Amino acid sequence: MNKIQNKIWTVSTIVLVIMSAIWITLTYYHNKSLNQYNDILQRYLSMNEVTDASQQVINDLNDYMLHPSLDNLEQIELSKREVQQAKNNVNHLRNEINDFTLTNYIHLIDSFIETTNRFIIFYEENEVEESAREFAEATSISNHISDMTLTLIDKELETYDQFYLGIMEQSRDLRELGIWLLILIAFSLLVFSYLFSRSITKPVLQLTKAANELSKGRFDVQVKIDTKDEIAFLANTFDHMRKNINKLFQETKQKAKLEQELQHNRILLQESQFRSLQSQINPHFLFNTLNTLSKKAYLEGSHETSDLLVNVAGLLRYNLKQMDRTVPLEEEVIVLKQYMEIQKARLTDRLHFHLVVDKECLAVPIPTLILQPLIENAVIHGIEPKEEGGAIWVRIKDYREQVKIEIEDNGMGMEAEKMEQLLNSKLKSGDSTSTGIGFRNVVERLRLYYGFDEVIKMESIVGSFTKIVLHIPKQNGGSNDAGTNR
Amino acid sequence: MRKLSIFLLIILFIILCYFTSVSALSVFQSDWELPEAIDQQQSEYRLVLITQDIDTPFWDAVGRAALDEAKKLGVSLEIWGNYGSHREDFLTNLEVAIQSKVDGIIVQGLDSKEFKELTKVKASFYGIPIITIANDVPMAESLRRTYVGSDQYKAGRMIAEQLITDMGTAGKVVIMFNDELEYYQEQRLAGMEDLLKQYPNILIEHAKTSNKRDEVITSTQDILNKVTDADAFIAVNANTIGAMVQEIGKRYQVSPFYIYTFDDGPEAIPLLEKRMIDGVLRQSPEIMGRKSVELMTDWLKGETIPLDSDGYLTEIHIMKATDAP
Repeated sequence: MNKIQNKIWTVSTIVLVIMSAIWITLTYYHNKSLNQYNDILQRYLSMNEVTDASQQVINDLNDYMLHPSLDNLEQIELSKREVQQAKNNVNHLRNEINDFTLTNYIHLIDSFIETTNRFIIFYEENEVEESAREFAEATSISNHISDMTLTLIDKELETYDQFYLGIMEQSRDLRELGIWLLILIAFSLLVFSYLFSRSITKPVLQLTKAANELSKGRFDVQVKIDTKDEIAFLANTFDHMRKNINKLFQETKQKAKLEQELQHNRILLQESQFRSLQSQINPHFLFNTLNTLSKKAYLEGSHETSDLLVNVAGLLRYNLKQMDRTVPLEEEVIVLKQYMEIQKARLTDRLHFHLVVDKECLAVPIPTLILQPLIENAVIHGIEPKEEGGAIWVRIKDYREQVKIEIEDNGMGMEAEKMEQLLNSKLKSGDSTSTGIGFRNVVERLRLYYGFDEVIKMESIVGSFTKIVLHIPKQNGGSNDAGTNR
Repeated sequence: MRKLSIFLLIILFIILCYFTSVSALSVFQSDWELPEAIDQQQSEYRLVLITQDIDTPFWDAVGRAALDEAKKLGVSLEIWGNYGSHREDFLTNLEVAIQSKVDGIIVQGLDSKEFKELTKVKASFYGIPIITIANDVPMAESLRRTYVGSDQYKAGRMIAEQLITDMGTAGKVVIMFNDELEYYQEQRLAGMEDLLKQYPNILIEHAKTSNKRDEVITSTQDILNKVTDADAFIAVNANTIGAMVQEIGKRYQVSPFYIYTFDDGPEAIPLLEKRMIDGVLRQSPEIMGRKSVELMTDWLKGETIPLDSDGYLTEIHIMKATDAP
């Protein structure tokens, strides 16, 4: 992984290397010019040394004349040797241009030394006049040496004129180079650090953007960063988080949907309840009245009327019971029978009712008011419109896992669209045409209670028959319990 | 936009690189060649040409020719001189040359005691041959090897002849020369006087002066006061002609006068070109320079021994103002 720290290190190292290279080059160059300066200076110094040495000889000669001692003589020899030394040094300074002058110079020094020697000889031989003349000569030559030194130095200046100009020009060039280098390095560094900082901040920016998207609730945008540093790692982790959140979110959404369905179920129940409550006050009065009527009919000997009234009252009472509960199948069957008694009394011969029940399954719990609305539907829409009447068969059969309830009539029958509408279209409030609880309500409740659509099936042929089949499982799913507990 | 800015940045970078490298190249390549160091003296002989004047047309011509010849012969030659005929410096130069043990000295003769002392005693002591050039000093007094230059006596005569031709055989002639009469001036003077004496109607006035300009001015004024009816002027020392003509010009029209001089002063030829003076005796400086170097080299090589002690005379002629361009 190309870490940010490595990047910073690389940048620093490159800058350092460039700086060192420039520094070393400049130092090397500076040293070179310094050496050249030194050489030139050394030339001047060597030349000047001759002047100094020759003057020293004159001084020593003078001392010797004043105090002719061995020490002073030795001193003269010493300074003479120095002059010789200086002469040898100067001899190395010969070049094409100062050749002539330098030869003159060397010879002048020779003459000087010879004159000095002559002076000493004359002096030691006490030839005062001669020695005085040689001393004057030596002094004059010494002066000439001084002059010629100046001439030589002058010539040096002339010779090296171009060289000095070159050095000056070079230092000017160097300054220029410095400025260019400064600009170049500053420029490169600016560009480089811009790119470098961008390579760090761009992923951060992308990450920020992704975080922003996330905070706005968009979980489907992938976080992708191409670099190979820590930011990329961060981005990967962030992407993982995004995926996880997305998953959780989806799950929560699904749960909410389920919740909504449950809520819907409850609303349906409440509606049923409301409808029953609506007719509660009058029904109670009616129920009591019916009972009174039944007693009165019995007392008056009209047993049939009395029974009918009892059935009506039972049916009414069953309807008035709380609907939010399950009842054993048996109760449903009893209500069914009562209802059919009433209908028979009404329709007499036009209605035939056949009930077949397997006794074993009468304890199976089912929601209340399921069978009665279905029978009512069959009577009112199947048999009643038919002039010659018809028959209704109710068969309750026990199977191992479930109870099969068939309700069949040979009445009007219905078209496929109507059937489809009954089974699958949504329930609309106020569409009930019968005893209060419509066919749709029954279908919805059954499906909600048992949790599968196939709990109720229908088949019909127009003008021939209509058959409704219920498959009631003996054991209910957990969700249904939750529904009933509420 | 982004592409454009990247493009511009790259261009800028290249430009910067270019200038930096150009600058770097100029810094690291401008190594100036130092003159090559050598161990040994290059040419066999070292000659010095010492003159009292430099940068005058006459001596420039001498020097150029001498250097040319020296180059041809492969000997080193240096010209030492000073401005304004400074005698002390001239003598110092001579002394330094002797003490520097050059192989040969070509020197403009100076008829003075110090000069003779140097040439006679010191140069002989160091064993250095001396050739006089342009101006001679008698051999007996200077121990010169030979003389290269004009016959000054003849030059004087020719000037005088020209004067007679121009002026006629009657008139007053002012001849100006240095009070310390040098040998060459003496010769010129003798040449002139010998000729002029043949004409009894020509009167000769002597005016003495020195090399210093203000003294020349004073002397000119004096002689103009003294000799109010002069017809001609002759400057034996060409160095004095400038101040003289200037002074005459202050008082009179210059053109009626007959003014003559020699060409070895700095102002002679320019004055002639301006027609302020009537004639100049022209010598042959190129031949002098060439010949002197040649003779010295020959002598040093032992090819021409001995040198003609009477000297090698070079050509002279009169140049008149009417000849001047």
